[in-house]
Amino acid sequence: MDRRQFIIGAGMLAASTTAARAADEVVIGVVYPLTGNGAAVGLDAKAAYEVAAEIINGTHAPIGVAMGKGGGLDRLGGAKIKLVFADSQNDPQKARAEAERLITQEKAVAIVGSYTSATGATISQVTERYEVPYISADNSSPSLNQRGLKWFFRTGPHDEMFTKGMFDFLADVAKKTGKPAKSVALFYEDSIFGTDSSNVQRKLAAAAGITVAADIRYRASSPSLSTEAQKLKAANADVLLPSSYTSDAILILKAMNEIGYKPKAVLAQAAGFQESAFMQGAGALAEGVMSRSSFALDADKLRPAIPVVNGLYKAHNNKDMNDNTSREITALLTLADAINRAGSAKPDAIRAALVATDIPGSQTIMPWAGVKFDETGQNTLCNPVIQQVFDGVYKTVWPFDLAAKDVVWNVGG
Amino acid sequence: MTLETLLQVAAGGLLMGLIYALVAAGLSLIFGLMDVVNFAHGELMMLAMYAVFVIWDATGLDPLWQLPVVAGLLFLTGMAIYRGLIARALSVPFNRGMVQIFVTFGLAIFIRGAAQFVWGGEFRAVNHTWLSDRSLNLGGVFLPLPQLAASAVCLAAFAGLLAISRTEFGRALEATREDRDAVALIGIDRDRIFAMGWGLGAGAVGIAGVMLAGFYYVGPNVGASFALIAYVTVALGGFGSMAGALVAGVLIGEVEAFTAVVLEPSLKQIGVFAVYLLVLMFRPRGLFGKL
Repeated sequence: MDRRQFIIGAGMLAASTTAARAADEVVIGVVYPLTGNGAAVGLDAKAAYEVAAEIINGTHAPIGVAMGKGGGLDRLGGAKIKLVFADSQNDPQKARAEAERLITQEKAVAIVGSYTSATGATISQVTERYEVPYISADNSSPSLNQRGLKWFFRTGPHDEMFTKGMFDFLADVAKKTGKPAKSVALFYEDSIFGTDSSNVQRKLAAAAGITVAADIRYRASSPSLSTEAQKLKAANADVLLPSSYTSDAILILKAMNEIGYKPKAVLAQAAGFQESAFMQGAGALAEGVMSRSSFALDADKLRPAIPVVNGLYKAHNNKDMNDNTSREITALLTLADAINRAGSAKPDAIRAALVATDIPGSQTIMPWAGVKFDETGQNTLCNPVIQQVFDGVYKTVWPFDLAAKDVVWNVGG
Repeated sequence: MTLETLLQVAAGGLLMGLIYALVAAGLSLIFGLMDVVNFAHGELMMLAMYAVFVIWDATGLDPLWQLPVVAGLLFLTGMAIYRGLIARALSVPFNRGMVQIFVTFGLAIFIRGAAQFVWGGEFRAVNHTWLSDRSLNLGGVFLPLPQLAASAVCLAAFAGLLAISRTEFGRALEATREDRDAVALIGIDRDRIFAMGWGLGAGAVGIAGVMLAGFYYVGPNVGASFALIAYVTVALGGFGSMAGALVAGVLIGEVEAFTAVVLEPSLKQIGVFAVYLLVLMFRPRGLFGKL
C-alpha cells in the first residue's frame, strides 16, 4: 500500500465511523477533574456516569427511575448514549478548552459536568456560545443560574437552597431540643464555591437572628491551617459552618484537634465532607460531623430504586453512592430523558425538551419532590437533607420524617 | 488578641516552619552542588509519604520506626534519578539549562501521574499512630506531639547534614561545588559526589515526608503546595546554604502564620512573598547566600 492509498483508506475508515456514530449514538461530553487535586471526585464521577449510561443503554430488568427500562433511547430507534470524558484538571481555563473541544471535535450534543463551580462557570459560557445544553450535576454556586444563560440547566440544588435547608434544620432542631444555636463560625475556601456559600450563610444567619462569631476566608489547599483553627477556637461558636473541598476538610479537623479544640457542632456545606476520602482521612475526627446532602442512601423505603442503582455503582466502583455521584447519575438520566422525549439529537430540540422536563420524585434516586426547571434552568423541586456521621457512616437525621437516626446535638448542653 | 493566641500562632508557625526548612534543605543541597533545580522535589516527598502509608497499611508499623527505611529508600531513589536522568541531561551538548529544567519537570508530572495510577486519586491518612491525636498542653498553648516529633527530627536531620559536611565526603562535596572541573584533576569522582548529593537531598525530603505523614493527608498532589514554599525558602535563605534554609523556613512559617492573623487567612501567602521580595531587593542572593 502506498501513501496515497493509505490516506484514502484512512479517510474512508474515518468517514464510516463518523457515519455509524451519527446513526445510532448520541455523544455527550463529560468534563471533570480526572487528574490533579479534584481527581478523587472526578474519577468517582466517571464511574457514576458509566453506571448511568449502563442503566440507559443496557438490557436489564426495569429500574424505577427515568430511562430505567434500558435498551437505549427508544424514540431515536434505540440509539445509545455515548460518553466522551475530558479532564479539566480542576482548572477553569482547561475546562473551557475541553468543553470547546468536545463540542467542535467530538460533536457532543450536550455537556455534563463538572464538580467545582469555577469550572462550571467557564464551561457554561462555552455551551452558551455554541448553543448546546450544559447540565450542571453538582456545581452548587447560586450565581451560576443567575447569569441569564439560555442553555444552562441544573438538576441539583444550589448552595442557597442547601443553606436554607441548613438553617431550617437549625430552627427545627432548636424547637425539638429546646437548645437553639446562638452563634455560628463561617469557614470557607476562597474560590467561587466558598465565597458564594458564605454570602448566603451570612444573610440567612442575620435573618434567623444568629450571631456570626467568626468569618474566616482561607486559601484552598494551603499546607497548613493551624492559624485558622486557632481563630475558630478563639471564637468558639455554637455551630461551625465549613465550606471546603476534601483536603482542606481533613486538614481543618486535624488542625482543630491538634490544638485541643472540639467544636460543639459542625454543619458542613457538603463538598469535601461528603467524600469517602474524607471519612478515611479524618478517621475518628469525623464522628458527629453533620453535612447537608442532596442524597440519602438510607432512604430506600421512600425510593426503592436506591439499592438497585447503588448495587450497580458498587459493583463498578467498589463503594457506595454519595451526595455527588447520586446527583451525577440523576443529571445524566434527566438529560437522556429529555433527548428521548425530543426524539432528536439536535441541541434545539433537546433544549425544548429540557424546559418541559417534569420527572416526579418517585422516578429518581433522590429524596426530592422531582425534577422541573424554572426559567433560569434551576431545578426547583430538589430539597436537601441533613446527615450526621455515626461510626464512620453518614445517616440522615433531618427532615425528621425521613430520619434514619436521631440527631446528636451538643449545643447549649 | 490574647497572649495565649499569640503564643499558639507563633508555635504553629515554628513547627510548620521547621518542616518547610527540611523540605527546602534537600532542594538547596542539590542546587548548591550542581546548579540544578529539582522540580520533582515535592513529588519525592509525596513518594515518601505514600511509602509510609503503604508500609503502615500492610504491617501497622509506626511511621517513626519506618524513618530509617523510608529515608534509605529515598536516598536510593535520589541516586537512581541522578544516574538515570540527570547525568544524561547534564551531558547533552546544547541547551543544557533548558534540558535540566524539563527533565525534572517532566519527572514531577510523571511521578504524580504514576502515583494516581497506582494508588488512585483518593486522599489517605495514617491514623492511630503512636503519637497521633496527642498534644502537649503548656498553659493553654497546645503543641501537637506528631509535629513536635517532626520538628525534633528536622533539627536532628540538619545536625546530621552539618556533621556530614565536616567529613572527608563533605569536603569533597564542598570542593565539587566550588569548581567541578578542578576536582577531577585531584582524583575526586565527580559523578559519585553528584549521585551522593542527590541521594542526600532526596533522603532529607524523605525524612520530612515521613514525619509529615504522621499528621497530614496523603495524596498525589500533596507535594505541590510544599514545593512552592520550598523554592521560596531556598531563594530566601540563599542557594546552597543549609543554615539559610533553616532560618528561611522558620521565617516563612512565622510570617505565614502571622499574616493569617493580622490580615486574613486567604492572604497568608502575600506576607510570605512580600518578605521574599523585600529580602531579594537588598540581598539578591538570599539571606545567607555567598556572593
